[in-house]
Amino acid sequence: MTNAALTGRPARLWVRKNLFRTPLDAVLTVVFGSLSLYVLARLALFVFVNARWEIIERNLKLLLVGRWPADQLDVLVTSVVVLSLWGGVIAGIVAGRQIRKGTSVIAGMTPTQRLSDLGRRFGLVLGTSLLLLLLTNSSGPWLMAGLMLVGGVAGTWSGRRIGVRFLSPIVARAGILIMAAVPIATYAYMVSAVPLAQWEGFIFNLSAAAAGIILSFPLGVVLALGRRSKLKLLKMVSVVYIEFVRGSPLYVLLLLANVSLEFFVPASIAPSKVIRAMVTFTIFTAAYLAEIVRGGLQSVPRGQEEAAKALGLTPAKQMRLIVLPQALRNVIPAQIGQFISLFKDTTLAGLALGIFDLLAGAGVITQQDDFRGQGLIIEALVFVGFLFWVGSFTMSRESQRLERRLGVGTR
Amino acid sequence: MTPPIPKSRTPFYRNVRFISWSFQLVVFAVVAAFVYWLFGNYQRNTASSGIPTNFTFLGSPASFDIPGADFEPTESVRNAYVIGVLNTLRVSIVGIILATILGILIGIGRLSKNWLVRKLSTIYVEVLRNLPLLVIITFTFLGVVLQVLPRIEDSWTPLGIMVVSNRGIGVPWYSGTSGLSLIVVFFVGVIGWWLLARWRHLVADRTGQPARAFWFGGVFFLAALVVGWIVLGGRIILPMVDGKRIAGGIRVDPSYFAVLIALVIYTASHIAEIVRGSIQAVPVGQGEAASALALSGFQRMWNVVLPQAMRIAIPPLGNQYLNLIKNSSLGAGFAYFELTQVTQVTVGNGSPAVPAFTLALTFYVVLSLITSAFVNVANRRFKLVER
Amino acid sequence: MSDTNQSVYADATKAVGEAILELQHVDKFFGTFQALRDINLNVGRQEVVVVIGPSGSGKSTMIRCINRLEEHDGGRIIVDGIELSEDVKNIQEVRRETGMVFQQFNLFPHLTVLDNVTLAPRQVRRMPKSEAEALGMQLLEQVRIPEQAKKYPGQLSGGQQQRVAIARSLAMKPKVMLFDEPTSALDPEMIGEVLDTMKDLARGGMTMIVVTHEMGFAREVADRVVFMADGQIVEVGTPEHFFTSPREDRTKLFLSQIL
Repeated sequence: MTNAALTGRPARLWVRKNLFRTPLDAVLTVVFGSLSLYVLARLALFVFVNARWEIIERNLKLLLVGRWPADQLDVLVTSVVVLSLWGGVIAGIVAGRQIRKGTSVIAGMTPTQRLSDLGRRFGLVLGTSLLLLLLTNSSGPWLMAGLMLVGGVAGTWSGRRIGVRFLSPIVARAGILIMAAVPIATYAYMVSAVPLAQWEGFIFNLSAAAAGIILSFPLGVVLALGRRSKLKLLKMVSVVYIEFVRGSPLYVLLLLANVSLEFFVPASIAPSKVIRAMVTFTIFTAAYLAEIVRGGLQSVPRGQEEAAKALGLTPAKQMRLIVLPQALRNVIPAQIGQFISLFKDTTLAGLALGIFDLLAGAGVITQQDDFRGQGLIIEALVFVGFLFWVGSFTMSRESQRLERRLGVGTR
Repeated sequence: MTPPIPKSRTPFYRNVRFISWSFQLVVFAVVAAFVYWLFGNYQRNTASSGIPTNFTFLGSPASFDIPGADFEPTESVRNAYVIGVLNTLRVSIVGIILATILGILIGIGRLSKNWLVRKLSTIYVEVLRNLPLLVIITFTFLGVVLQVLPRIEDSWTPLGIMVVSNRGIGVPWYSGTSGLSLIVVFFVGVIGWWLLARWRHLVADRTGQPARAFWFGGVFFLAALVVGWIVLGGRIILPMVDGKRIAGGIRVDPSYFAVLIALVIYTASHIAEIVRGSIQAVPVGQGEAASALALSGFQRMWNVVLPQAMRIAIPPLGNQYLNLIKNSSLGAGFAYFELTQVTQVTVGNGSPAVPAFTLALTFYVVLSLITSAFVNVANRRFKLVER
Repeated sequence: MSDTNQSVYADATKAVGEAILELQHVDKFFGTFQALRDINLNVGRQEVVVVIGPSGSGKSTMIRCINRLEEHDGGRIIVDGIELSEDVKNIQEVRRETGMVFQQFNLFPHLTVLDNVTLAPRQVRRMPKSEAEALGMQLLEQVRIPEQAKKYPGQLSGGQQQRVAIARSLAMKPKVMLFDEPTSALDPEMIGEVLDTMKDLARGGMTMIVVTHEMGFAREVADRVVFMADGQIVEVGTPEHFFTSPREDRTKLFLSQIL
């Protein structure tokens, strides 16, 4: 609703104020208006009439999971369902805590408001999933999606009912350990079924980004602490690492890893391409995370550390109990930003290392016998670009939302 | 009298200085050991497979072609590197200029009072920013340049002065003058611009009339270029299709074109966000004070808001420029012979990988250190004076 | 509308001498919230009007409407014969006639004190540099800080900054000066110097509308005092009338709270 509607002014006035305020405005409106109408028409014509989406339909499985062995698909389904249950539990715990602390935004909403809020936030992802499901011609994916939905909802439901603070410390710690172990165990389960070298398609992009951000996190924190340290040698090592990596293009590092990683490890280890990519992502992302964490450390007021010192905490405890929790909380949005950036950058691995990722898949399917030389690369790229876009856009929206919330919380 | 405090000797393991030094020595030793291990592996592995670890490969013949460059396969790898660096700079500098212009326009568009302009700018930013750059380059290269642009046989020739085809884009260009006299003309233009601008400012100070130094200087500069070119007996060479290639004028390589366009539209979306954020970060009161003094919209922007927004925008802008330079390495995937592609090809031709890539990485790192130094200097200059 | 309100209007529209500023039935909305309700006020030449009232009563909104920092939604605002309308030319003309001093000074931090003062005369009035600087120095002397001319705002105290802001507004030779809580952001020891500058200005015959909480200033300098609450003008009168025998209960309550 616009202001005009609220103050009961006619819509014509709105148009005049917002589209034809000055002569220049009018010209801009007409030029860009007709241009965007033209582009929109061309786009609609392409998407709904001219595009030959059968190239995507026929290769959907190849693009998403690569050549994941057919007899191991149940492993994939199980893992994904477990992960959605896990994610649901975490979301539930967070939501439950917010409700108890009275900081929940959702709690004050009516069911319809809640639904429209969820729709605004995740409608794009849900819609895209539905689109993918409609493109498939087998029942397996539908089953998986159904199970994921059930898992997610059940997880959220139970998560909300876990009152972390009412548990005894031992049970709570065990719970945290289990929660941390679930994704690792799932990962191990998947790797044991299908070796990493065969992780292809969108699975590669998603898993490499997740693994990269998780593995680089401890290294990033250590580097950030090193850079802030008063100990000169430590500081020097950290600064050299961070500046060198941040000055290097990721693509060149990946190429280097492709042709020379084997020189730096004993000949007995022969890292696969996927491993090389992950090692590079970890090395690369750690430097950026270090800078983000350093920003977070700087955002914690000096008085906090001084107060901790005055209470007689040891330096390690000052860091672990007082400074780091505040610093890491402040930088969650920036960390999500780094994750989005890595998610997009996983496509570089396809080009540099010859890994069959989602984008490389787009090129490959246009070379198939049925589709070769028909100029279908645009269809393929639009599909691939759309998947990446939905992921990044949704995550960046969520991170902005979180940023606003954190801002409200600190004041 | 209180008895003197007995002088206790702190045991060395409780001494703050000792703890901190021993801690960092341990960490340093671990890091050093790890690096030593990597380096040892490297020496052992290269020795066992007979791969050289020095830079002598730079002197040997490159034995590959660089399209669009005056380069013979018999020339040394060193010369190929030079061309690679120049090509990296070529795409980066042009890209930075174009991305800045586009980014500023879109960033201001996002704050426009015109609803349509605002929405379109937002859509541009949200779409481009959330796509992987590699998807965009693949699109401009495979989708636009190789597919939409016509084959050389039936190339487009808009107004008869350009040639557009998937073999490259021909643009009219100067001809008939030597490089040196061109440079002289250029500098005459620049100096004239500067003098004219100074003079206009003096006039403005004396009479109060608007300086319009940019217009006076710019017109003089262009006039100087045209006159100089005529005096030096230059002509314009129009590009023409000559069999399977474009002759005359300047030929823009298709991969250069695709990489440049992708870098520009992608980076512009990030610059637009920086521009918008910086303008919004200037306190509202500043604009209000300017309005209350009856400054016009343009005067308010130019004299009050932009100078303050600039100060906020400089560090992130420097970061984006750096990103663009580093991202230009993706040109290697699309047959654009910039530094990374040269490195990759020469490694493929048998040059040792680690030294060759070390060279390329050194260039990027040095360039990024220089850029951050510039940003720091600019930051200091624009810093507000406080007490 | 009640009878008492009617009589208030009669008071409010009666200016001392010829009116230079007229507000007639002005309304202002922020979304659905009505910030100003049917404001009527005339201000005569050389008159000093002090506006008081609880926070959120619309005092600042009212004077911000006078130079179009806020757009009014109903009624008319006429400054020295020029009506504020959609016409950009009128808006610019009104802004040239009115100077404004803000609570937060809003000096331009990237310009020197002198450049702050000369910016508008040079850009808007197209005054030659030497002339603008002479004027600027003269105004800085008038507010008693000529020695700070080459410094930057960040190097000055709050009181000095506010005096520079006054000089900056005077440089446009305005016919009306608007003051939006000019002393509220100042440390107590600096309030006096700013109020003294304003008193000088009033003695010199400047037309002023001052939103302030400084009751001493109102008593000493004001020709009329306007009391606002909930976006309305509740009571208008001379300082003596106002501080000794206010008529409205809202006014009495407010005065009892702050005095």
